[in-house]
Amino acid sequence: MLGEFWDLFIAFIRASNLGFGGGPAVIPLIQTEAVNNYHWITNEQFVDALAVTNALPGPIATKLAGYIGYQVLGWPGVLAALLGTIGPTTLAIVLLTNILMKYTDSPGLKGALKGVRPVVVVLVAQTAFEMGLESFPNIITWAIAAVTAASLFWFKIHPAILIVLSLIFGLLVFQ
Amino acid sequence: MLRKLWDLFIAFTRASNLGFGGGPAVIPLIQAEAVDRYKWMDNDEYADALAIGNALPGPIATKMAAYVGYKVAGWLGVITAIIATIAPTILVVVLLGSLIMTYADSPELKAMLLAVRPVVVVLIAYTAYQMGKKSFPQASTWALAIATVGILALTSIHPAFIIVSSMIVGYFAWGRKLSK
Repeated sequence: MLGEFWDLFIAFIRASNLGFGGGPAVIPLIQTEAVNNYHWITNEQFVDALAVTNALPGPIATKLAGYIGYQVLGWPGVLAALLGTIGPTTLAIVLLTNILMKYTDSPGLKGALKGVRPVVVVLVAQTAFEMGLESFPNIITWAIAAVTAASLFWFKIHPAILIVLSLIFGLLVFQ
Repeated sequence: MLRKLWDLFIAFTRASNLGFGGGPAVIPLIQAEAVDRYKWMDNDEYADALAIGNALPGPIATKMAAYVGYKVAGWLGVITAIIATIAPTILVVVLLGSLIMTYADSPELKAMLLAVRPVVVVLIAYTAYQMGKKSFPQASTWALAIATVGILALTSIHPAFIIVSSMIVGYFAWGRKLSK
C-alpha cells in the first residue's frame, strides 16, 4: 500500500515534471510510466483512459493522474498521483515567481525549450503510433480513423463530439 | 476574504470546465476571468505569468490557477483555484473509469471501446501535428526530431534522458548564440 503510494507519486513527479508544453506533452511520459515501467495498465486500457479524459473538459494531465491513480490504489492513489503531477510546479510558480521572471527571457532557457520541443512532438507521435498498433483490428476501425481525421482537419468538429459519436457508432455496429 | 475565495472558485470552475482539449485550451478562458471579468491583473501581468508557466514543465492550467490564486488570496487562494480547476473533472473521470472496470466484460462496452480507440489515436496524432507546426522553425530542429526517432526505435532508453539531453543541446546550440 505505502509502496504503491510512493510509486504513484514518483511516477507522476517524473512524468509531469519532464513534460514541457502543458498537459498534452505529459501524455507520452505517463504512458511510459503506467504501461511500460510499472505495468499498472495495458496499452489498450491507456487508450480507454485517454478516450474518457479527452471527452471531458479541463486539464488532461490531472485527469489521467486521477484515472490511473484510482485504478491502482483507490482515492489515496488519486491523491498520490495528483500531488506528483501538480505539487512541484505549484510550489515553483508561487515561491519562485521573482527568480523565474528573470529567466523567462534568458536566451539559455529559450534555447533549451527550443531543443526540447521537437522531442516532445516525436514522443506524442510515438504514443499515437503505439496506441495505433492495437486499435485497428478491422477495416471499419480504419474507416473510423479516416472519418475522424477528415472531421478534425476540414470540418473542425469538436473532439468530444467525435468521441461520443464513435461510442454510439460502436454500440450499433460492433455489437 | 471568503468573498474572494468564492470568486476564485467560481472563476476557475467556469474556465476549466468549459475548456475542451486539455490545459492549453483553458488558458484563454482563465484570462477572460482573471483579466476581463474580475480584474485581478492586467493583460501584461497575465502574459508574464503565462511565460513563466510555459517555461516550467507539467500541466499549464494548474500553474495558472496557482499564480492567480496566490495573487488574489495567498495559499488559501492557491488551494481554492486548483480544486476548482481539477476536482469536478477528476470526480467524473474516476466514476467513468470504475464503470469501465466493472463492465469490462460486457459486449456493449467492448463494442463502444472498439470504435472509440481509432478516434483517440487520431486525436493524439493530431495533437502531435499541431504541436509540430510550432516546433520546427529550422532544419536543425528537424535533426533533433530525427535523432529522437532513431533513439526510440533502436534503444529502450527512458524518454526522460532524451528530454534532458535535448535541453542541453538546445542550450548550447541556440542559447549562447542568442546572448552574444
